Amino acid sequence: MTVYLRQVAAIVRKDLLLELRTGERLAAMGGLTVLIAILLHFAIDQGLVRMQQLAAGLLWMTILFGGMLGMGRTFEMEREGGAIQGLLTSPVPLDGIYLAKVVSNFVLVTAIEVVALAAYWLFFGFNYGNAPLLLAAVLGVATLGFVAVTTLFSAISAQTNMGQTLLPILIFPLLVPVVIFGVTATGRIFASRPVREVEGGLYLLAAFTVVALTAGTILFRYVVEE
Amino acid sequence: MPAAAAAPRAGFPVLEAASLVRDYGPVRAVDHVSFRLGAGEFLSVFGPNGAGKTSLLRLLAGGLRPTSGEVRVSGVPLTIGDRAARARIGILSHLSFLYGRLTARENLLFYGGLHGLEDLGSRVPDRLADVGLERYAESPVDTLSRGTVQRLALARALLHDPEIVLLDEPYTGLDAYAGALLQELLSALRDGGRTVVMVTHNLGRGLELADRVAIQVRGKFVFEAKRADLDAVGLERSYRRAVEGKA
Repeated sequence: MTVYLRQVAAIVRKDLLLELRTGERLAAMGGLTVLIAILLHFAIDQGLVRMQQLAAGLLWMTILFGGMLGMGRTFEMEREGGAIQGLLTSPVPLDGIYLAKVVSNFVLVTAIEVVALAAYWLFFGFNYGNAPLLLAAVLGVATLGFVAVTTLFSAISAQTNMGQTLLPILIFPLLVPVVIFGVTATGRIFASRPVREVEGGLYLLAAFTVVALTAGTILFRYVVEE
Repeated sequence: MPAAAAAPRAGFPVLEAASLVRDYGPVRAVDHVSFRLGAGEFLSVFGPNGAGKTSLLRLLAGGLRPTSGEVRVSGVPLTIGDRAARARIGILSHLSFLYGRLTARENLLFYGGLHGLEDLGSRVPDRLADVGLERYAESPVDTLSRGTVQRLALARALLHDPEIVLLDEPYTGLDAYAGALLQELLSALRDGGRTVVMVTHNLGRGLELADRVAIQVRGKFVFEAKRADLDAVGLERSYRRAVEGKA
């Protein structure tokens, strides 16, 4: 493993270890996910509404709000003991710090997606279609694009007094492609439509994710450097 | 990707500040500071609050971009993205840079990972032993006393065997006993041939360790002397005059 990958792996390992030990973000994100499912279960008359048609929208709404709740605290743990200074004055390239944060956020949001899928299946008996690999690909690529944008902007919002209040205002407009293509592709998978009807959305999500990751990698240094 | 290692150049000072300036908007925090330090030299920088000492140290660490001037490590200019030069620098601050929920050992393993070190299995216990913290290896940092955390922070700063060590108010918050323990460790550091810059309010401790001293006021070095030319009374007199603007 190259030094660069070892450095990135060290940050990811530390982030996940801290999260496992404190559960701060996972508890908030998971709690919100389950709460939304429970509220909707009691709020919607399933005899009148065809819930399956709402499945993709509900799933993505939960992922976006739950994810946002946790991603806003990405750099909170680095404030403790001035650890952010230790990180920024270490030999790790700034793009390495950004990519490590993206990876650890990706793991957290993926965990929330699993919780959301399980909760909606439990409460509404959603049918997730017959293409689990394609669903995993769409969710994976869209989630990567989502965390690429959110991680960069959480670094910006961490440096302002408005903090997490500012984050949704900054990033919701940028997440429009993820929402549109993610919901559309997921909905088609849930409806067991042919793969070719999903491919276009998946490619657009992939293009967005590549652009978001590239921009984040380049711009992160301007966010954190003084 | 990491930059190629900056090759040290023989005959150059290990650490050099060349007319360093740093402005925060209209405020000049560091004002044309210059010095050169060879291997094993220890510079103590004193100054009142707001003199720009911490900004100077952050410039020397490559964590802050100078408005003008430059820092050179073994003759090679230290740029903001120069990760290789940073691997030659260790920083001990009044902030520990440690994570309270991780154990002492986990914190050192993490920082070892940031430096890309491979021999952490032996290096981490050695560093803990160097600062007398072997028995706290598995203790979470937030259960340790302030003095113990500061010793662990020193182990963190020295984990990668840096040639240059930067100390930012390392005695802050320490009681007399913990301060004395840290002083012993820093003495060993000086005797180990490392180049050290320490900024502190503590004239006595700073003078005891230093080969050279400087007093920084409103960003400028207004007084510089060799340790051999100065005693504690002389330093205190010079400090008072400098702060009162009579230097």
